[in-house]
Amino acid sequence: MRPNFFHHLHPPTIPAQQSRWRYTLGAGGTAVFLLFVLAITGMLEMFYYTPTPEQAALSVQTISYHVPLGGLVRNTHYWSAQLLMIVMAAHLIRVVMTGAYRSPRRFNYLLGLVLFVAVVLLNFTGYILRWDQGIQWALVVGTNLLKTIPVAGDALYVMLIGGSQPGPATLIRFYAWHIFGLGLLVVILTGWHIFRVRRDGGIAVPPPRLREDDARITRFELVQREVLAMILITAILFILAIFFPAPIDAPIEQLTTMANDASAPWFFLWVQQMLKWGDPFVWGIVVPLVVMLILALIPYVLPQAQDAELGRWFPKSNRLARLVLIGISLLVIVLTLLALLPGS
Amino acid sequence: MPELDRRDFLKQATRALLSISGLLGLGGLARFFYFQTEPPSQSVFDLGPATAYAVGTRTLLPDVPAVLIHNENGFSALSLVCTHLGCTVESEASELVCPCHGSLFDEQGNVVRGPASKPLPTLQIETTAEGNLQLFLT
Ligand code: HEM
Ligand code: FES
Repeated sequence: MRPNFFHHLHPPTIPAQQSRWRYTLGAGGTAVFLLFVLAITGMLEMFYYTPTPEQAALSVQTISYHVPLGGLVRNTHYWSAQLLMIVMAAHLIRVVMTGAYRSPRRFNYLLGLVLFVAVVLLNFTGYILRWDQGIQWALVVGTNLLKTIPVAGDALYVMLIGGSQPGPATLIRFYAWHIFGLGLLVVILTGWHIFRVRRDGGIAVPPPRLREDDARITRFELVQREVLAMILITAILFILAIFFPAPIDAPIEQLTTMANDASAPWFFLWVQQMLKWGDPFVWGIVVPLVVMLILALIPYVLPQAQDAELGRWFPKSNRLARLVLIGISLLVIVLTLLALLPGS
Repeated sequence: MPELDRRDFLKQATRALLSISGLLGLGGLARFFYFQTEPPSQSVFDLGPATAYAVGTRTLLPDVPAVLIHNENGFSALSLVCTHLGCTVESEASELVCPCHGSLFDEQGNVVRGPASKPLPTLQIETTAEGNLQLFLT
């Protein structure tokens, strides 16, 4: 048989070190699997979802409550998306905490960051597609944030929402971005990202002469582990999907009427919390961009792990990078908790 | 300026051409996305006969959204669109509070507590010849 992409990703043998759960957390692979589940369940949802302001929330209710197994499909789509955010964050943390991002993997690290942003946007656009009273203020605030950008803001606003206030044109644009624009981008970037993992010599380990552990595992064992992870994740997804249905509220009647829920989707709560502090452009746009910029610069400006330190957690030499990441993570977690505090 | 040989020249020219096409493409994309299919939002609201609003009342107009105020000085209207990021402020109590990031405004729309930095705007009210009230969003 001619070698194909599968063989590219699964060479006959790989160092055992590269495939230990406790080293990689299996997070990157799990993210790929979740993307696959998202694509399948999303395509199934497309057979019922109607992207118009009057019909959107109702069609989501139809999927959830009337279509046989529709609830399972929708809830699995929802939970895969939320799990993907967590798994992706865990993957980023592991890559930084093991120092694996250093050259020659810098470029792949950047690809990963772009993927991260694209997946967050994918999640946000998907959330807006519900077009129910739960998403109303996130839509208003999120799009108005664009207007605060100096010079280009107003034009960007129109280009995104297709008018002077959110309406039918906005929903169809978010739909197109969610399913086509961002979806395609994420698929291409993911393919490139995992192709690069092998291109860069597989998962980072010390060069052969510095390696303490020479054990290798076969392609078959690797696939066994992957299948095990998929079964585990599938079980978790089913449990979540069956016992914790995804939220859906009444359709938005008028964008100006107060709805009861004014909180951002959970992954933007930290931004919503900062917006309480003042200037929306600074707290809502500049600060999140600076956070991304700091992450992007980690492999370029901070001390990196030595050859011999690769392939394990917490290499001494990249201590500073780890501290920076811990700082950012704490910031996001504390802000999120503050936003969740009642009466804040 | 150092002399360019033929190879370098071709390389530079290719680069320049590619950049120009890229920019043109981006510009075209921006123009494509800039088209507005939404009709502009409603800017004049008919509020019916002025006599329906007694002196000393404040009436919520949820569609605008605004409150219509009728006092000794006549009619005026206060927008309820938060000047921070556009949520509709809650007007049940005498102070107006925004559910999104907690801005607080007094009855006249002045900022009591941020993050909003501008007061809620007053909207223009006119009475037609038939005695109907009209509200203008501008
Ligand atoms: C949808 C999101 C993502 C997917 C599907 C994905 C997928 C993968 C996979 C399958 C691997 C193989 C190793 C492993 O499982 O740990 C990997 C490695 C890697 N990823 Fe990601 N990734 C994603 C996001 C990210 C992010 C956000 C970053 C960091 C900014 C990143 C940076 C890297 C780097 C540097 C490696 C090489 C690690 C090494 O050589 O040890 N990836 N990715
Ligand atoms: S939109 Fe009112 S406080 Fe932010």
